[in-house]
Amino acid sequence: MALIRVEHIDKSFASRHGSITIMQDVSFDVKDADFLALVGPSGCGKSTLLRLIQGLDRPSSGRILFRDQPIDGVCKQMAMVFQSFALFPWLTVSQNVAFGLEALGWPPVRIAPQVERYIGVTGLDGFQEAFPRELSGGMRQRVGLARALAVEPAVLLMDEPFSALDALTAESLRDEILQLWQDPALPPEAVILVTHNIEEAIELADRVVVLSRRPGHVLAEIPVELSRPRDRKSSAFYDLTDRVYSLITEGRPAGAPETPLGSAGRTGEGL
Amino acid sequence: MAEPSRAASDGASGPPAPSPESTASGVRPVGRMPSAGRSLAIYAAVPTIAFVLLATTSTSSFSSIAGYLPTAAVDVSYSFLRMLAAYSLSLAFSLAYGYYAATHRGGERVMIPVLDILQSIPILGFFPFAVVILAQATPGSFLGPNFASVFLIFTSMAWNMVFGVYESLKTLPSDLKEAADTFGLRGWLLFRRVLYPACVNRLVYNSVLSWTAGWFFLVEAEIFTTNTSNALTGIGSYLSFAASAANAPKFLAGVVMLVIVIALLDFAVWRPLGRWAERFRYDTSPSGETEVSAPERDAAGRFRRARVYVTQRVRTGVSYVTTPLVQLAAFTVRPGRTPSPRRRSIIYYVSLGSILVIVWLLLIALAVALVGVYTSPIQSSVRAQIDLVPFAVGASTARIVGAYAICLAISLPLAIHVARSSRAGRVGLPIIEVIASFPATALFPVIVFQLIPYISPEGASILMLMTGMLWYLFFNLLSGIRALPPDLTEAARAYGVRGSKFFRRVLLPGIFPALITGSITAFGGGWNTLIVAEYLSSGTGKALSVLGLGQQIDIGYKLGTAGYPLMATALLAMVVTVIAINELIWKPLYRRAATRYRYD
Repeated sequence: MALIRVEHIDKSFASRHGSITIMQDVSFDVKDADFLALVGPSGCGKSTLLRLIQGLDRPSSGRILFRDQPIDGVCKQMAMVFQSFALFPWLTVSQNVAFGLEALGWPPVRIAPQVERYIGVTGLDGFQEAFPRELSGGMRQRVGLARALAVEPAVLLMDEPFSALDALTAESLRDEILQLWQDPALPPEAVILVTHNIEEAIELADRVVVLSRRPGHVLAEIPVELSRPRDRKSSAFYDLTDRVYSLITEGRPAGAPETPLGSAGRTGEGL
Repeated sequence: MAEPSRAASDGASGPPAPSPESTASGVRPVGRMPSAGRSLAIYAAVPTIAFVLLATTSTSSFSSIAGYLPTAAVDVSYSFLRMLAAYSLSLAFSLAYGYYAATHRGGERVMIPVLDILQSIPILGFFPFAVVILAQATPGSFLGPNFASVFLIFTSMAWNMVFGVYESLKTLPSDLKEAADTFGLRGWLLFRRVLYPACVNRLVYNSVLSWTAGWFFLVEAEIFTTNTSNALTGIGSYLSFAASAANAPKFLAGVVMLVIVIALLDFAVWRPLGRWAERFRYDTSPSGETEVSAPERDAAGRFRRARVYVTQRVRTGVSYVTTPLVQLAAFTVRPGRTPSPRRRSIIYYVSLGSILVIVWLLLIALAVALVGVYTSPIQSSVRAQIDLVPFAVGASTARIVGAYAICLAISLPLAIHVARSSRAGRVGLPIIEVIASFPATALFPVIVFQLIPYISPEGASILMLMTGMLWYLFFNLLSGIRALPPDLTEAARAYGVRGSKFFRRVLLPGIFPALITGSITAFGGGWNTLIVAEYLSSGTGKALSVLGLGQQIDIGYKLGTAGYPLMATALLAMVVTVIAINELIWKPLYRRAATRYRYD
């Protein structure tokens, strides 16, 4: 059974020069225990799609089902990790992690151990009383991750979670997220990762949904059947990367300049 | 209050600054509090020096001054209670108003332009009215003036705090909003966890400014009531009575007490609050490497935010009011050939000026007619005074322009010197900041009662006007000069541009936005000081009268009911003049500053 079903989504925004179509007829499924990556060039609506799935925004047409129920308003069984971390600077690390639990109306006696647990899981022990501005970028994103995991979501949404980090920090955080994902005691039944980094998608995901340039539509769904941990230098890994890369570049009109994605994908970190 | 608060013009900082533009670039990019120890020393030094100097030159002795301290302390506490009441009102008002305006689009459309107008009106002019009306409305004779003064202080505090709340909520990063949304936060929890903390930093900063402005107005309001039958007990009236009785020890005791209270508030309340509020700043940058602690970066960020805010505000709120008027102006300019850009700008401003004159003459005529119709029998003497109102407007405007010119002549060289010389910046600036945080109105009685024989009423009123204008100009110019990118000045040096050429080609264009903001706020402060300056210069009985709007209001006030038409006409004329000058001269200039003279 599909956990999330995205059915024929169109999304357009009104602008001064008429309406702009961001994505057109996007459909895919997210299954139980699925680690799904959405890749595509910038402007193809990846992040918008994530927001539609969570219910922060509504599609112009089409529908999104979560456990066979249409998404209507913000779905509290999903939690988002933001590219910019989106931590509240006036709250300490613990308070930030407790943020979602408070919103769910948990009693304080239950919040405290839950917060402690996820602070431990994400390696933030000892930083409970620190403020976000006192932390490095990698540590801040751990807080973002802990805040999302603490509400024990069915689906973890990650919007370019490593893009604001330097290459080394991003790599170690990716490893840790994989370990958390493989730990059956930890919550999310599924993860949706939005990224423009093809290697990252293939390294982490079970399945990669490739979106085209604007207006975005699904070019392909590519299963990644390499065993974890995946070796970026293996030829199988390289072939997959190349396949996704050419899918995206061939989607562009002939003679157009290379997309930023192309260069990022080719020379990006880790290669 | 070592902040150069009023001057920094964050929001209608001082006496309500004229327009929202002023709300911003003044957000002192210099943004640095002098160290506690140093400003404590200055706080102690300034009154001590004044104290010793005046005590030795006058016949009074220290003990006689000390003898007056207890009564002064009692009067200051009355004043403080008034401030506290007004501040509580402002706080509640700003949170409610700012929150609603920032979160309801429909509300925003109306509320922000309304606020814009409100803060550009010299509220002080309404004070006599408020006293009369509230005194009639309240049976107890002392309640009316008290309500009126609290209301007046409220108007000097509230607008800039409202803009603080409004701007904080509008600039709340969208990812934080989304993060709150993803967890479904709403209602009280949303307010407590997200919206209120988002406002705290600006609210504390603007509160400091509001209190400085509040003291200025409080003293002014209290002085104002000393000419009436029921004077308010407070530090302003205390100083006024002391000065009119030429009682130097009593006056000095009052000044010392006022300084003590302001310094105490600064050290016991605002400094700790300011440190605490730092944590509510939301400029955590995404990448971990850029730490926020570096003061320069912090200042630059503040300045940048302020600028963004300025341009946004100009585009939204103001345009509703300005557009019809400007279109009218543009319509008269447009005919025929398209003149060269330079020519057009001159013609544009000339025609704007003439339209301004016509508009305000028309409106005054309309006002006179209206008043004439609705309050049928106007005494002929009052009518004769009403006929003088246009001249009074002219005289007052000329006085403000004169005071402005002197202030500019003083503050520009001073600001350049303070910005350029590190020694002047280190030693001189904190002294200036402390002096600026002292409400100049407290010294008005001395100017009026002791200096008028030497400098004539005209001179006295201009001197008082200057105290209400100088700091706005100085601190805005200073921040402008400091924000001048060093590579520009270096490039000028490398090409050998110096002297007057440097001044015209680099410095003046570079500080143009700051100059305009400073001028707008200085004019706002000037109009507010004007009423009391002219009123005091002509109202003391000893002096020759000074023609002006303040004097007209004073005459009207003394005539009682028969004077209502005169007061109304004078007030209306003033409001119209102020708004017209803002909308037709300052705002176009400001937009020019924000587009052309901007480096980013």
